[in-house]
Amino acid sequence: MRSIFHIDMDAFFVSVEELYDPSLKGKPVVVGGRPDARGVVSAASYAARKFGVHSAMPLRTAYKLCPQAIFLEGNLARYREVSLKVAEVLRNFSPQVSMASIDEAYLEMTGTERMYGPPMAAAHKLHEKIKQATGLNNSIGASRSRLVSKVASDQAKPNGILWITPQMEAAFLGPLDVRKIPGVGKVSEATLAKYGIRKVRDLARMDERFLAEHFGKVGMALAGKARGEDAGGWFDTEIGATEDPKSISHEHTYSEDTTDATILESTLSRLSEMVGRRLREHGFHARTVQLKLRYKDFSTITRAKSLADPTELDTEILTAVRNLFRSNWKPGMAIRLLGVHLTGFEGASPQMNLLEGDKKDRLRRVFQAADKMRDRFGDDSLSLASGMQGKFRERVHEALVIKEVIKEKES
Amino acid sequence: MEFAINKADLVRELNLSQGVVEKKTTIPILSNVLIEADGDRIVLTATDLELGVRCSAPAIVKKGGSGTIPAKKLLDYVRLLPDGEINIKFADNQWATITCGRSKTRIAGMSRESFPELPHLPEVLAEIPVKTLAMMISKTIFAISAEESRFTLNGALLIVRADGMVMVATDSHRLALVEQKVQLGNLKAPYRALLPRKAMNEILKLAADAEPDAKLMFSGDDNHLFFTLGQRLLISRKLTGNFPEFERVLPKEHAHAVSMDRDELKGALERVMQFADERSRAIKLTAAANEFRLHSSLSETGESEETLTVSYDGPPVQIGFNAQYIVDFLRATAETEVVFHFKDGGAAGEMRPGGDAAYTYRYIIMPMRI
Repeated sequence: MRSIFHIDMDAFFVSVEELYDPSLKGKPVVVGGRPDARGVVSAASYAARKFGVHSAMPLRTAYKLCPQAIFLEGNLARYREVSLKVAEVLRNFSPQVSMASIDEAYLEMTGTERMYGPPMAAAHKLHEKIKQATGLNNSIGASRSRLVSKVASDQAKPNGILWITPQMEAAFLGPLDVRKIPGVGKVSEATLAKYGIRKVRDLARMDERFLAEHFGKVGMALAGKARGEDAGGWFDTEIGATEDPKSISHEHTYSEDTTDATILESTLSRLSEMVGRRLREHGFHARTVQLKLRYKDFSTITRAKSLADPTELDTEILTAVRNLFRSNWKPGMAIRLLGVHLTGFEGASPQMNLLEGDKKDRLRRVFQAADKMRDRFGDDSLSLASGMQGKFRERVHEALVIKEVIKEKES
Repeated sequence: MEFAINKADLVRELNLSQGVVEKKTTIPILSNVLIEADGDRIVLTATDLELGVRCSAPAIVKKGGSGTIPAKKLLDYVRLLPDGEINIKFADNQWATITCGRSKTRIAGMSRESFPELPHLPEVLAEIPVKTLAMMISKTIFAISAEESRFTLNGALLIVRADGMVMVATDSHRLALVEQKVQLGNLKAPYRALLPRKAMNEILKLAADAEPDAKLMFSGDDNHLFFTLGQRLLISRKLTGNFPEFERVLPKEHAHAVSMDRDELKGALERVMQFADERSRAIKLTAAANEFRLHSSLSETGESEETLTVSYDGPPVQIGFNAQYIVDFLRATAETEVVFHFKDGGAAGEMRPGGDAAYTYRYIIMPMRI
């Protein structure tokens, strides 16, 4: 029988901080930045959550709700390091692992009964192994589908294990709010409420045709999800199958809006390096470079340029995006956010160049060497001179919340 | 200002301005054509600040003066009028009234005050046979880079010497070079300039109407190039920046060469190309004992192969090329025989016309990794 685990680290960022500073334990802790900074909460400890603080909430709001909380900038390198440890434990436990984000993963456990025993026993072993390797609490959901396991791990928190036995999926999901279903965000929740659908069992009772009519494809998926099936685009790939991204992007929001062209172009340089590095990690060449520019008043423009030859070089990405910036930014207009977005992935262009000789090959080797340096000594160890003034701290949020926000925006 | 003009004369000269006026511009006056009436002619001027055209036509000038009207609107309208005489009169409020037979139309114009001044014509440097220049343009223009950000490759390098001219264009994948010996008078030093693609197209238009032995008066100042043909003047801003050192990338020698019939090769290429990747146009060329093979394949669509009989006794050599690049050359070549020079899959290939041409035409193509 199919068996899938969903592992979710409890209050991941905060817990990692506690490892380094045990005095934080039990206190309200907010990771994301100083309380007066622009930006949002990346993570909040359970003590802070009691005051209503949650991920993706503006830091200033969090401060109003819980002024006594300890506000931390956060340290992405630390979180990544611990995340890698977790991933290692998981890979030793099952050959098919999908890290869904920095702090959660799906494990294919089908066929492991003779090795680990029934799901509950296996989950206990895994839970203990993760705790031993990292010192961190985690929660595990187990069931026949990814969807139910994910919801189960959420219900099991903190530091719990929940196994939904076969045939019990509907009974488990039924009394939960529809919002608990992955893919149902604020917008869908409100729309569903209009038809009186508040609990998953309300959804399960609905006629599939009705859902398809009112919610389209998403509606069909909802119907499936309400029954505990892995329906809809979220679960299309096999666990452990590597999925190539269709686009790579990085954005930066300034803590204060700026009109300084030097700083803005410097940021573009840093963003180009960041996307360039990820591009090379995947072994891709990008055909299209896109600039995203958000002004002070939140008006946002995106402008794209298709390159004659696909590239994997930071400098070529920068040239393209900087040209877009120069021809689209109205100097003097304060900018809030800049982003660089790459799409159109393909292999290296087979066409040889008459004028450049081996210039590109040499540049490629330079950037590959730089990638290795950064792997060893950190992201800040090396950068293009043009990006020296554009240094900023990278933010990563405990991904689930953010993913949902993005999903909502897209749908 | 008021004048009467023959419809055909006006349409012919207005046509020349169409390639120059800006269709979408933030400066509205650049969509207009400037009309100046004086003596027994009118002079028409159009510019987009990169390129300018000035031409003239005989007219019966009833009252001298000048004014501007939207060039495209004027041409589109005048074209529809019956053949015969057209009367155009500008009022003080910049409206132009066009009367022809029983048609009467008013078009809103703009004051000439804001129309940009064209640069002054400097001393003539050389008298260039216009058909020769047009021949050189059509043999190189297709190799110009389509990528706008590569400013210096958005045109061709023109070198004018006392004893001839050279034109070179490249997009960094291929390079076309034409050198023509022609006595151009007493130029003291070679004149080098980057001629934008748009100007090259306009010269081709001028040449199309010209007599076979017509001469262009060529001159230049710091920023502009001037081409005068009879009553017509074309002014182009030079492209700034340094053209690549093309001499450095011209192959000194090639190990092998095969001679082929132009049309036979072109036909084979065009067929085989149907099964090449649409973007890269990559095909495989193989030279083997007395045969030259073209091969393409697309994993999901199919494959195609053609074999040409040639005289070749070298070792088998296989090279990947963008087939479109070769077809471009064959289309621009008048000679019925072409020679393909090559070394191996990693070195630049070269196409040249066969026989003893009165000029040098070299077309260098970089291979594709296959």
